[in-house]
Amino acid sequence: MSDLRGEARIALAIARTDALAELRGRHATVSTLFFSAVVLLLFGFALGPDSARLAAAAPGLLWLAVVFAGMLAVSRLHLMETDDGALEQLALYPITRRAIYAGKALAGLAVMVVLGLLVLAAVGILFAVDIGGAWLPLVATVLLGAIGIAAVGTFYAGVTVRLRAREVMLPLLMLPVLAPLLLGAVKATAAALAGDPFGELGAWLQLLAAFDVIMVVAGAATYGYLLED
Amino acid sequence: MTDAGFVIAAYAVIVGGLGLYTVTLWRRLRAVQRRDDEGR
Amino acid sequence: MKTRILGFVALGAVAVMLAVALFVVPADLNQGDAQRIMYPHVASAWLGYLSFGVTAVSGILWLWRRDLRFDAVAVAGAEIGVIFTAFAIWGGMMWGRPIWGVFWQWEDPRLTTTALLLALYVGYLLFRRLTDDPERRATRAAIVGIVAAVDIPIVHFSVEWWRGLHQTATIGSPDRVLNPAAPMVFVGTLLGMLGAFTLAWAYLMIRRYQLARAELAHEEAVRRQRIQAARAPQPGPTSTEVAR
Repeated sequence: MSDLRGEARIALAIARTDALAELRGRHATVSTLFFSAVVLLLFGFALGPDSARLAAAAPGLLWLAVVFAGMLAVSRLHLMETDDGALEQLALYPITRRAIYAGKALAGLAVMVVLGLLVLAAVGILFAVDIGGAWLPLVATVLLGAIGIAAVGTFYAGVTVRLRAREVMLPLLMLPVLAPLLLGAVKATAAALAGDPFGELGAWLQLLAAFDVIMVVAGAATYGYLLED
Repeated sequence: MTDAGFVIAAYAVIVGGLGLYTVTLWRRLRAVQRRDDEGR
Repeated sequence: MKTRILGFVALGAVAVMLAVALFVVPADLNQGDAQRIMYPHVASAWLGYLSFGVTAVSGILWLWRRDLRFDAVAVAGAEIGVIFTAFAIWGGMMWGRPIWGVFWQWEDPRLTTTALLLALYVGYLLFRRLTDDPERRATRAAIVGIVAAVDIPIVHFSVEWWRGLHQTATIGSPDRVLNPAAPMVFVGTLLGMLGAFTLAWAYLMIRRYQLARAELAHEEAVRRQRIQAARAPQPGPTSTEVAR
């Protein structure tokens, strides 16, 4: 039992280190946020100018922007490691690999939640959708989606960090796996914004939660094998 | 295209594809064996 | 030798089933001749899923036992899985055009799920090529394969739900041939095609596995040669060449 607590403490320590490093390198965080803003803008140009069509598409555009920006964010969190070999050094310590994965994923989660909420606000403004009315289910959706993207993204960022062609491999591997999350998050967002006329919001949130649990377990279970590389 | 056209297109690609893949497998197998023989 | 016999049997079985599916079995009342596409389409889809199951399980076995033969099975499963999945999608599109009027439809959960399956395993194969060391490659591939396999049931669920909210008339449903109420002739032909294709699949899996092992052995031999060459002592000044 105390093993688990030790693990948790280690995970949190890693998470804090990574998240702090990320925030201190504020330039990178700001760039990622700005990237998502530009993506939203481009969506506007691609699908507009009909505002009704954009409002209808808003949930999808929201999550596409979050996923794309999220890929950049998670790959950067791992990049910081290889640059000074910190990942290898971490693996030398007698801590379980699960804790390392949890720590990195938590840092990623922090970034994704901030990203998700800001993109949500931006979508509300740019595509004229009323967020305020349904803010609770929307925030819940962002949270659940962020967990899934962080879990999957951390895993694949770790898998591709030392490979050549990693800039294309990360999206190539990650995006198909994220399809169910994208589907669920968009549906939940749309339902929330519409006031949940068919009562399906709960089901979609459950799907997201199930996805999160499965992916966190799968990621934690297999991440360790990466470190023995 | 009539229905028959689509049926033919479906079967041709699938069966032809299987055949093609089988042949390429044979070739790749022979190539590795040849490399091994030369290596010795 | 036994594999060659399997190959001939498979060839014969496929040839027979082709004739049956194209000429013997009657056309469907509603879907007409286009329904014949279902036989190889369903068979291919089934074998695609089977292959990827093999890849995932082989990956787990590699992580557990560290025997590279398991990785050879894994790569065979992935490559052959991609082939059959691609056939399934092609068949689905060729069926879709006469029946739905379009080559692709987002409301058909099987088509979209199968496309995602293809994406996952093409990614797996491309990912494998980036590592040269056999053991590392096997380990990395195994974990990518496992997470991909874990994703598949979730994809199924979510796409089914997604579709469920947009119930369209199922006049043109690929399910008809799988319906238990379908006439025995159709079901029999489908099972026959499935059996014939599975024989072909088994033959291809064995050959691809042999290829993988041969390539592994070859890589190993090359590596040993290089190590030996690096260790070989340099010829000294007393060699015969100087004397000449």
